[in-house]
Amino acid sequence: MQTIIEPRRGWFGRLGQALTSPFQPEDYLALISPVASAREIRARVTSVHRETDRAVSLTLRPNRLWPGFQAGQHVMLGIDVNGARQWRCFSLSSAPQSGTLTITVKCHRAGGVTEHLLERARPGDVVTLSEPAGEFLLPARIPDRLLFLTAGSGITPVHSIARYLENTSFDGQVEWLHFDRRYEDVILLESLRELGRHSQLNARVVLGHQAPLPGDEQGRFDAALLAALVPDAADRQVYACGPAGFLDAVSEWHRAEGRAPLLHERFQPLTKNTGNGGRIRFSGSDLATEAGGGESLLEAAERSGLNPAHGCRMGICHTCRCSVRGSLRDLQTGESRTVDNQRVRLCIHAAEGDVEVAL
Amino acid sequence: MGYAMQQEHDPIVFQRDGVSLTRSQVDAFGEEIDALRQQVMADRGESDARYIRRVVRFQKGCEVAGRGLLFLGFLPPAWLAGTGLLALSKILENMEIGHNVMHGQWDWLGDPNLDSAHYDWDNTCPAEQWKHSHNYMHHTYTNVVGKDRDVGYGIMRMSEHQSWNPAYLFQPIYNWVLALLFEWGVAFHDLEIERVIRGDKSRAQFRKEQKLIFKKVRRQVLKDYVLFPLLAGPFFLFVLSGNFTANILRNLWSYLIIFCGHFTERAEMFTEEEVEGESRGQWYLRQLLGSSNLEGGRLFHILSGNLSHQIEHHLFPDMPSNRYQQVAPKVREIAERYGLHYNSGSLRRQFGSVMRRIHRLALPSRRGAAVVN
Repeated sequence: MQTIIEPRRGWFGRLGQALTSPFQPEDYLALISPVASAREIRARVTSVHRETDRAVSLTLRPNRLWPGFQAGQHVMLGIDVNGARQWRCFSLSSAPQSGTLTITVKCHRAGGVTEHLLERARPGDVVTLSEPAGEFLLPARIPDRLLFLTAGSGITPVHSIARYLENTSFDGQVEWLHFDRRYEDVILLESLRELGRHSQLNARVVLGHQAPLPGDEQGRFDAALLAALVPDAADRQVYACGPAGFLDAVSEWHRAEGRAPLLHERFQPLTKNTGNGGRIRFSGSDLATEAGGGESLLEAAERSGLNPAHGCRMGICHTCRCSVRGSLRDLQTGESRTVDNQRVRLCIHAAEGDVEVAL
Repeated sequence: MGYAMQQEHDPIVFQRDGVSLTRSQVDAFGEEIDALRQQVMADRGESDARYIRRVVRFQKGCEVAGRGLLFLGFLPPAWLAGTGLLALSKILENMEIGHNVMHGQWDWLGDPNLDSAHYDWDNTCPAEQWKHSHNYMHHTYTNVVGKDRDVGYGIMRMSEHQSWNPAYLFQPIYNWVLALLFEWGVAFHDLEIERVIRGDKSRAQFRKEQKLIFKKVRRQVLKDYVLFPLLAGPFFLFVLSGNFTANILRNLWSYLIIFCGHFTERAEMFTEEEVEGESRGQWYLRQLLGSSNLEGGRLFHILSGNLSHQIEHHLFPDMPSNRYQQVAPKVREIAERYGLHYNSGSLRRQFGSVMRRIHRLALPSRRGAAVVN
């Protein structure tokens, strides 16, 4: 994850550049402001809000290289773990506003970046951001009737969209069903409740493993449940975000019944159905390994002691793209194919036979 | 019989100064050095990151303070302190930060400020060009006469393998001119003018490199000799002279460290034939024997960019420089176990040795020596 961003400068800035060449004025400003940089978007953590015992919201104040974002977008966040910068992708959960942004982080596994953030993030910390990206956006003309379907940490980008709608002159109506196991697992629950108090937004939590409070529901996503809870679902433009299994179910329902567009954002991209695996040779370092069908090329490289450039580990940021030859399985679609020295994303491809990776 | 068998299966591949090593011994030596490298590289972490960022902060602070004081340069103590701080900043930036960052020692941090692909240093030599002439040519072909252009920088005779001509009689003088103008020597020697004249290098390539150098030179000159002096208004000359002096001091210091690293009398030179098809172990051997270390305190090591550990730097050019001090005793122990000379001494002793070499080689060699070119 190394995109160099250059600031725009007026004549004064250019004079500063000439005086500090070959460095940048910000390299000296960094002596007094830790977020000053001419090369990267640095942001100071201004508040840390614990959402659940496995999730935390960080409010960040970025430097002037931050271009702003649109509701529903995501961003790569970089922090230094053991000295080395690690990047992960997170949805922006706040409504776009100048000078500040919020990401909500749910910790999936121990020892990773998310756990580091959960346990160690403090106000005053400095993190690095990518430019925001993502097409999970509201159209220019916002439809009157919307349906939000979210599950797990898929609540975050939709939360940003809902907060944005709250701040605009939206006069339509939104149905929002959020699926989770228990109340303790629901991140941004307070905010969801608060949003639900608006007459235009009907937000309900659907629990899988716990008795619901009045106004909420119990069950898992399927066509029958949806028809019962939102009778006009098929005519609403749908924004869906959540784990792969959930999104597959939503897509299936939409294919059969939907009459308005569906936008979805995948969070856990990797399919569970694994292939056969194969033998991977890393041509640049003279290493080889046997990999299982569920192990991405990136994981296999790391297990072999290599440290390839990578970012989101979910196919979004393209940082890990690398030239590969051989038979691969795409872990997102489950499809296999043969490539001949094509640059593929190592994090979402596994070996399906003999593979040579230029690492 | 047994000896003949051994000769056949395990020939002697290294023989110098009464030390002979067989292929398997050289391989074993290489493996020990590799293992040392692995051990340190796996151990890199937060404290290394903290170290380099602290050096950068200190250096930037020195530069701001130095340039600030020079605006008061009409007061002699301010001029002296300002010039000293600016020289210190330039030395730290060139030696401990720039040189090492461009080697990729800090790439693992993933910090664009310390990334070899994007870094440029406060020196007239453009980073792109430096990475070619230094990282690739000098570090790969260390002390190989005819390949490593740092051997004499195209103007001096540093090895018996270079044939003598009368122009070399004046090399003690060239030496001091090079020392004073070291950054310019480094910037321009990569243009390889003599190769262009010989026709080994295309004029188009030459022009491309020349453009790159001039662009960098323009910016460096504009900053140190035009803009900062102008900002000082009536004190133009104080700032100008301070900047000039700081650049010269940095030149002298880097010249001193670099010459002591490869041109002491016992630093060995090699021919192109000798290094053809060499193994990793043999490459390590050449790095060890072609380099010499300087002894001193912690501050001295940092100011030298840890090139006081020239041997370790040449064995592990991409290892974070703050780790050289820690591996040096282990390298020395391995070298001594194989009967190899570990060239180390004080700055005074090593520089005296460099001077003797420069003066000795200014004169034709007495005995018939190998001649290259």
